[in-house]
Amino acid sequence: MENVIEIKGLSKCYGTVKAVDNLSLRVKKGELFAFLGVNGAGKSTTINIMCGTLVSDSGLILIDGLDAVLHSEKVKNKLGIVFQSSALDPALTVYENLESRAALYGIVGEAFKVRLGELSRLLELDGLLKRTLDKLSGGQRRRIDIARALIHKPEILVLDEPTTGLDPQTRKVIWNVVSDLRKNENMTVFLTTHYMEEAAEADYVVIIDKGRIAAEGTPLELKNSYTGDFITIYGQNEEEIATLGYPYEKISGAIRISVPNTGCATDLIIKNPEMFSDYEITKGKMDDVFLNVTGIKPEGGEEK
Amino acid sequence: MKSMLVMIKRNIKLFFKDKGMFFTSLITPAILLVLYATFLGNVYRDSFTSNLPMAHLVSEEVIEGLVGGQLISSILAVSCVTVAFCSNFLMVQDKASGALKDFSVSPIKPSVLSVSYYFATLASTLIICLAAMALCLAYVMAVGWYMTALDVILLLFDVILLVLFGTALSSIVNFFLTSQGQISAVGTIVSSGYGFICGAYMPISSFGEGLRHIISFLPGTYGTALVRNHAMRGALEALADEGVPDIAIEELKDVLDCNLYFFGNRVEEPVMYLILGVAVVVLVAVYVIMNVMLKKKK
Repeated sequence: MENVIEIKGLSKCYGTVKAVDNLSLRVKKGELFAFLGVNGAGKSTTINIMCGTLVSDSGLILIDGLDAVLHSEKVKNKLGIVFQSSALDPALTVYENLESRAALYGIVGEAFKVRLGELSRLLELDGLLKRTLDKLSGGQRRRIDIARALIHKPEILVLDEPTTGLDPQTRKVIWNVVSDLRKNENMTVFLTTHYMEEAAEADYVVIIDKGRIAAEGTPLELKNSYTGDFITIYGQNEEEIATLGYPYEKISGAIRISVPNTGCATDLIIKNPEMFSDYEITKGKMDDVFLNVTGIKPEGGEEK
Repeated sequence: MKSMLVMIKRNIKLFFKDKGMFFTSLITPAILLVLYATFLGNVYRDSFTSNLPMAHLVSEEVIEGLVGGQLISSILAVSCVTVAFCSNFLMVQDKASGALKDFSVSPIKPSVLSVSYYFATLASTLIICLAAMALCLAYVMAVGWYMTALDVILLLFDVILLVLFGTALSSIVNFFLTSQGQISAVGTIVSSGYGFICGAYMPISSFGEGLRHIISFLPGTYGTALVRNHAMRGALEALADEGVPDIAIEELKDVLDCNLYFFGNRVEEPVMYLILGVAVVVLVAVYVIMNVMLKKKK
């Protein structure tokens, strides 16, 4: 797969604070890319530079092979952005909002109506078009934000913490929409999130800390590198588990043992078959990866 | 061009959606008219009757026409600029709401955005100022009408020109603001201060020489003089018809700022139009350049 985003040696300082420090990464076409980090890690700065609203001190960003600075207009046509907070006009109707945002890309008149029809079918907007934005629920508003981001048929959808503050049901709706977009349109999705369960679904994850990459890889690679496995045993007493010599914790109706990796878990089971009559082995979670990489517990919901 | 029209439509719609802002802007000139007529009408009337030679020969209707003309010219000269400052809030609101960030991730040119804000403010300010002008003309009609059709047309042109000027000036000033609170503060300062420096509240002729010279550099002053000339020309002509000598009328025109002087040289009406027109073009150009430069700076 070809790279649709390439960032090379990107740096940006605010006074003496290095917001982004020699950052390099790549995003492949059609993939769901998760960009993780605590607040102030440099995520928003990177996105702002990528979108052309901020100028870097040094480095290069290529979007679909185009320099984001030299070909700013073309690059902006390739990016659709869903901001953390809706940037649409609450007093205007959905139609008026999308009409004005489409005009920013030169999509007016009949071209706008055609595109609106496509988006209405994709995001089920028909019943919402005449309603003002401030009368919509959080989930409906988010759908309109996504419609705004897609109004000019971008190749890359940038989601900047799109589900922060939304209830689980609405988050599910939003992710279904994003999932359909990826499946049907082969859309590349560049995601920042505090919810590790969302990052766990990504094709590739980059965790940044203090403007630098702290870890990167697929969720599985990260889990293998930064967390161990867990064996959850049912119906055994604590004294016997303690003899195994591995750290453990009591959870509801079971005991969970932490082991460094799957091989170690297998050895343990083979050597102590009498203890392992009812058990399950699970990989570590993205929360554990984030915690081990940054030393900070993620703010959002935990991976299930 | 079509994109700009859609953005202008969006900006105008948002202005009229804020009904509180719209009605406040709309009734402000009406309140000013009531206040002026109540508190300043007598002052103006006494001033005319005590200063005019042969005032006892001048009919009360003409005096009322003069007072009415002076009142409405002051109100219109001030309103065209102050209403523009009140109406021109959207560019600041868009900064605060994040809409401007949304615009900046699109390929639209900053010049298109800035011009769309300008024309939207121009349209909303014009609507309010033309309503104010209609109200003012109705008032003059009630107290003493001496204006010709040409005077009304020229007054209309003056209002449009002053609104163009006020919108351009407010666009530059509001460009630096980032919150609704700042807009309110600036609006209050402009509302209270502009009337003095443009010669609407007090005649420039009553100021000291140094201040007169400084004020003569301000384009808004010439806008006030134009409005004054066209609102009062008919009543001043009626004065002459009633036997007041030309020299006395010229002196009155000096006192009322119908005649303006730049370092002792009288500025004729076409030059006043030229000054105001050039000021509008320069201010709009500066405003657009500021927007373009800001984008490059980022």
